[in-house]
Amino acid sequence: MKKKLLSLLLAMCFAFSLAACGSSDSTSGTSDSDTSTATAAETSAAAEEDSASGAVDGTITLGMIGPMTGSLAVYGTHVANGVNLAIEQINAAGGVTVGDETYELAVESKDDQGDSTECLNAMNALISDGIELVIGSATSGCTSSITSVANSEGVVLVTPSGTADALTTEMDYVFRTCFKDSFQGELAAQYAADEGYTKVGIVYCSADTYSAGLRDAFTAAAGELGLEIVAEESVATMTEVDYTNQFTKMVEAGAELVFVPFYYDVTGPYLVPQARSVGFDGILLGADGVDNTETTIPDGADLSVYNDFLFVNHYSTELATSDISISFVESYEESYGETPNNFDALGYDAVLVLKQAIESCGAFDADSVQAALADTSVVYEVSTGTFSFDDTGTPIKTGVLMGYSYTEGDDAVTKIAVTTLSLD
Amino acid sequence: MKKSETRTRYLVNFIAVVLLFVLSVVMSNAGGDTLKLKVVPSIWQCCYLIIMAASLNLVLGFLGQLSLGHCGFMAVGAYTAALLSLAFQRAGFYDEKSGPAFLLVLLLSTLAAGVLAALMGLLVGIPALRLKGDYLAIITLGFGMIIVNVINNLPFCGQQGLGQGSASSALYATGLGFSNDEKVQYLWVAVLVVLLCMTAMLLFVRSKYGRAIRAIRDNEIAASTSGINVSYYKVLTFTISAFFAGVTGALYSCCNAALATTSFAFTNGSILNSVFIVVMVVVGGMGSMTGSVIAAVTLFLLNYTIKNGAWVSTLPAFLQNVFTYPMLVYSIVLIIVILFRPRGIMGSREFALCDVPKWPGMIKAWFSSRSGEKEVVGHE
Repeated sequence: MKKKLLSLLLAMCFAFSLAACGSSDSTSGTSDSDTSTATAAETSAAAEEDSASGAVDGTITLGMIGPMTGSLAVYGTHVANGVNLAIEQINAAGGVTVGDETYELAVESKDDQGDSTECLNAMNALISDGIELVIGSATSGCTSSITSVANSEGVVLVTPSGTADALTTEMDYVFRTCFKDSFQGELAAQYAADEGYTKVGIVYCSADTYSAGLRDAFTAAAGELGLEIVAEESVATMTEVDYTNQFTKMVEAGAELVFVPFYYDVTGPYLVPQARSVGFDGILLGADGVDNTETTIPDGADLSVYNDFLFVNHYSTELATSDISISFVESYEESYGETPNNFDALGYDAVLVLKQAIESCGAFDADSVQAALADTSVVYEVSTGTFSFDDTGTPIKTGVLMGYSYTEGDDAVTKIAVTTLSLD
Repeated sequence: MKKSETRTRYLVNFIAVVLLFVLSVVMSNAGGDTLKLKVVPSIWQCCYLIIMAASLNLVLGFLGQLSLGHCGFMAVGAYTAALLSLAFQRAGFYDEKSGPAFLLVLLLSTLAAGVLAALMGLLVGIPALRLKGDYLAIITLGFGMIIVNVINNLPFCGQQGLGQGSASSALYATGLGFSNDEKVQYLWVAVLVVLLCMTAMLLFVRSKYGRAIRAIRDNEIAASTSGINVSYYKVLTFTISAFFAGVTGALYSCCNAALATTSFAFTNGSILNSVFIVVMVVVGGMGSMTGSVIAAVTLFLLNYTIKNGAWVSTLPAFLQNVFTYPMLVYSIVLIIVILFRPRGIMGSREFALCDVPKWPGMIKAWFSSRSGEKEVVGHE
């Protein structure tokens, strides 16, 4: 019995020490994130003390849901970084002015592990804690499980990166700070038409919401713009590893540009090299899922194949021209020691949009904020551009065209920002 | 066991079950925010996890075959129920989620979900159960993945039909999906389904069929020489297990109102996946129905309170750091259970209310029997 207890104790110590290591390791990549959340916590604690002394009148707590652990943890942690940075800056600049009173912002964050049931539980828990303004979740799948709760319970939900079209259409209380999938598809088609391509092909995954949605939008826009779709091929899953058959057909059909709505985990190691290996030398055009492809290119790969690999994206640090986006990039780099990506910027924007809505309506209950956000004439100037909401709660904004380029002699591909895209 | 004692046991259990049911009905009339947002959704989730674990226990604990694709049957049930209810609504059979018409649809979709899943179980079971052990595990694993891919690619139900963002809204507005208020209103449905399913499964394992499949588990050759038709009983059990998994799927689509095939995968981030259901059965005790109930509720509460419980913030910081990685906590719990109770919390015994007075003696006996290897034999 003693032996058993001892071994159990040791096993537990081992597990706990592992866990402790794990938590510190995983945050060391974004070295300052720990401290920043800590400071955010301190400032909110300080805010509560201040509120006693009268400097600020109270705290508005925002809810946040995202995949902080699990296979999509990158999305959730980056949204959290953006949200925390925005809250820190707003509080440092004096907080949110509601009528005659000043409020500090705080955030209560929940992990959904990329699962819809967990996401629903997290949403219900936030609502029962009395939170009326929620930012989340990072993926369309999870977000779709909480939109109806947001609507029926009357809680404002702003998703930073849920791009599926239908998320906001029927739900009055749901808004987003990114563009929607069909819009990216249109942008891609318009780019193809503007550049004078006439024969285009599509390789997509019919089983996936994201890929199929983009394909539908691209096809529709291509029809209007007079592009001829010479070949269209589908693969079974978004994690397919063989694309040679599909691209052989593209070459046979004479496509000059192929639209490839896939995620970065397959484009880097499989899709692009295989397309080039069967003799396709035209333009490969992807959507926002392609961003971060540079992290999945295998060692020793022929990097020249990534030339002419372009994608539509939300945001580029290079094309950022407005004061707010430049200051966002600078402060982000200062706080976290790395260049911000889409999710950082969109999470940051979600807070700014909510702040502006709260200040304009002079209240922070869900109904007033919802009414303020639903006003389509209001212009929001945020880090990913200047936009106003359309009547479904999706921003009318611009996208950027980015791509990869490789010069002989370099040891890595570089990500370049080509141009800003907008619909005519 | 004496006949009068059996009668007392039935009476006690019956009273307890009725009390439980009445409690759930009373609760759903009580109202309140915490109840609506936390308690009732938790009960719903417990309900489908309980049936899920218990139905897998039929195959894993009583029949002794490892199935790793149990969530595949649940997916079949969930999509069947969801699509059927949508079809009824579009045909104008009911408008609001109340009244006898809706209850009829609810009943029909739940039954249809179970029947279709059972058919799938039969289809998979006939060829698969010729195999044993690891090979059967691989076949069922493959089945779970095939189902997910098939659903993804079916034009009327996969990502295209239900999942394209509008899944939740469509189900909420029209189909089976319950909002928080409706979950409270229909709490009795979930509790009733659990009670019925658990009763049916308990009766099944207590019947001659149950004895036959336990004989197969203990020694297949001996069982077949005693005149038990091994293949028949295997396929039968597999089919019955699939039926209950399908019913679970219907409960799931009521509770979650948004369906995505990732929820039914082999592994995923949450506690609803084929592997975790196996874990529940092992933790509860292979061959103990009530053990599965206890394990399902315990693991659900663990998962839920780690993420949403207020007590977590009162813990020391290093424990909170551990809790940000829930999967680690589950594995620690699993290790503890396997170390101290190698056969699961309940072993192969069943929990019975009438045995509660005997517990102190049993615990004492367990501690005095060194290392707990000698299981204390219960009333069986």
